Parts: sequence; structure tokens; C-alpha cells
Amino acid sequence: MRIICCKFGNKFTDWHVDNLKHMIDNYSGLKYDSFEVIEDNPYNNWFNKLQMYDRFRDGENLYFDLDVVIFNKLPKLTRKYFTLLDDTWWREPAHTPLNSSIVSWTGDVSYVWNTFKLYEDEMLKKYTRGSDEFYFEEIDYYDTYEPVCPSIKDYLYENPKDYSICTLGQMHHLMEKGWSGWYSDYFIQR
Amino acid sequence: MIKICTVFFEGKYSPDYISKFYDSLKRNTTVPFEFVCLSDTDVKADLVLPYNKHSNIKLHWHKLKFFSPQFAYQKPGDEIIVMDIDQVITNNIDDLINYPVKDNEFISYHTWWPRNIKVNGGFYKFKSGDFDYIWNDFSLNPEYWQTHYYENGDVHYKYYGEQNYVDWKLFEKNITITKVPGEWLGKYTDNRKDMIEMNKLYSKLFNTDYMILDNVNEKIKIVHLNGATNNKIWNIQ
Repeated sequence: MRIICCKFGNKFTDWHVDNLKHMIDNYSGLKYDSFEVIEDNPYNNWFNKLQMYDRFRDGENLYFDLDVVIFNKLPKLTRKYFTLLDDTWWREPAHTPLNSSIVSWTGDVSYVWNTFKLYEDEMLKKYTRGSDEFYFEEIDYYDTYEPVCPSIKDYLYENPKDYSICTLGQMHHLMEKGWSGWYSDYFIQR
Repeated sequence: MIKICTVFFEGKYSPDYISKFYDSLKRNTTVPFEFVCLSDTDVKADLVLPYNKHSNIKLHWHKLKFFSPQFAYQKPGDEIIVMDIDQVITNNIDDLINYPVKDNEFISYHTWWPRNIKVNGGFYKFKSGDFDYIWNDFSLNPEYWQTHYYENGDVHYKYYGEQNYVDWKLFEKNITITKVPGEWLGKYTDNRKDMIEMNKLYSKLFNTDYMILDNVNEKIKIVHLNGATNNKIWNIQ
């Protein structure tokens, strides 16, 4: 199994990559064969993530955003079919119900990349609010996870007992120096 | 523990303003405190926290982080004071720093000159965590709030309006704002005409001498500079 993450731009640093690996190695219970970091930055935005569907066309793949906190043994997240999060159990759908903070697939799903690449200019103009809207509008075949990853905004002061991972989303500042809460115990010391 | 919290970013002021402010606080109060500065450069403070230039949080809006009990290593029961750095301390401020604060009470300067909001961002005092929603709600949609008051015409510069947002959140939650005595606060601007009007108003409201002529009125503990940077008042500090 391959674990994948992306680091590009100024928002995330080597610390965030090391931190994700630290949480996976120490709390998730995941066993993996390789830990892959995509750093190529052709688009200077979230569309960079789509490169993983071109690059990894075999085996089991499990992608994580860098702004998550993993604090316990994860449920089985690897999937045969292309699968991502549906957030509508904890928020309004807004412009997309989907969230690609966690994505899994087995084998070749390069159609996702190809769909983007074929109409790249149009896609870049059309989906200015993120790749999650692109998935929702342009990709016909996907599955979604059962509720596995709530937002930390609803669990700022106490970790969610029924889950083992939270997305930080807009609250990624919680990873900066100076912030301390239950989540800090799972991060690498700054 | 009393934490005095500030934000500094390079631009209008240089790091030595923080040093002056810190030294001046130490000199003018006997009350123990920890001086915290969220800064984009190394400054003189008991605790310096990084101002993340790559964050979507702009300018003074970083001040709102101090409303979260999870920021700056706050502990339950800590008294949090958030201050602007463009202030000159002209007298002993024990009564200001030690101003008693109850649970769920928000203390700010009494802004005695005409103004359309109740809080004054120069000074907030509250108990750690009592107003966590000010930061928590803001952090869910900073892009909206950071331009809202500019687009609404309430402020004249883009990304201004942090005080307006705090004012709104307190109004929304029906929080009464406690004001420290107005005569403790002076205001200084580089506009001579404005200063004359302020001097007259201060004198009338508090039945005393003018606010600032050759010297600062002895009732004043601290002078808030509204954009003034190059003037003799800095030397008092």
C-alpha cells in the first residue's frame, strides 16, 4: 500500500510532511510500503493534487491532506474504487459536498487526471474554489466514505471519541507554533 | 497570570517600538505580567510567537487569536490583555493592568471622542476563553470578515475593521462592555486642528486641563497614537 501526500507553495512545509508521517507511524495503525510526497507545482494551487492519479496507476493508494490530525487507529480506509469524503453529514453541501482530504483507490484511475488535463485551461478558470468542486462536477464515477473524518471545528476542546482522524480545514492555524489543545499531543513538537 | 498580548508586523513601525513599549510597560507598572508578541521578526518580549505571512489572516486580524484559550499557552483563569503597540505610557498603569475583570466581562478603553463603535482595539481585557467565539467564528470565514467592513464603507482601508468585528460579536452575544475611566486615555494625531478639538473636548468632559500641550495631562496614563509616528510624544515613553 502506498501513502500519498502533496506539499507545494508556502502554506505547508517539511514539518507538515514529517508530522503526517509521524501521526501515521505512531497512531494510525497503518502498514504501508511507501510514503510518497508530490512536490511538483505546475499550477500553484490545489489542482496539483490531481497529479497523483497520473503518477500512481497501480496497487492500493491512500492519500491524506497535510492538515489533518490522526489520533487513533484508523478504520480501513483503502478502497478498490475511487473514494473520497462526503462532508454533508457535518456541514451544508455549499458548492460541493465532496472533500478530498482523504482519497483512496486501487489500480488505475488516471481518468481523473485525464479529465482535468484534456480541458485544463477551462477547468482552471471554472473551478476557482478548489479541486473538490471539480470532482463533484466533472467526475462521474466515485464512491464516498461513510462518516470517518469530522471537522475539528466541532471538537476544538475535546477529541471526538467515535473517530480517529479530523480535518483541520480552515483551522489549519492549529498546527502553528503557539497553539495548544488536545490535538497538539499528536503533532511533532515545533 | 496576566498576559499582555500584542501583534507586530514590519511596515509602519520598526521592531524598536516593541522594545520601547515593553520597557515602558515594565517601568510603569508593578504588576507582574507576561508580555507576548505575535511578530514577523525577532522582538523584545517574554514570548514571541510567529506571525505567519503565508496565512490567510491579514494584519491586525491576528489579534483575534488571543481570544482563543488555546493560543499563547493560556491557562484557565489567566487574565488576557490585548493592546495595540501604537501607544505611549505616560503614567503609572497599575490600575489599568489590574483593572478587575469578572467572568464573561469585557473591558476596553472609554473612547470619549465621537466614534461609532463601543470597543477600542487599543485595549481589551477579559478572562481566558470567555470570548472564544470571537476567534472561532472568525476563523471559519476570515476572507469574508477581513474585507466586510471595507466593502461596507465602515472603514477606509482594505483589511481594516477588526474592532468593528469584535464590536459586532459582543453586540450579537449581548455582552455589556465595561469601560475604564475615560480620563486615563489620551489621543494623539499629527493633525493640529484635530488635536485642538480633542484638547478642548478632553478638558470639558473631565473638567481638567487640556489633554496634551507641552506636557501630557497628569490624569492620563496612556496615549493612543492614531497613525502618528514621527513626533515628540514617543520620547516620553
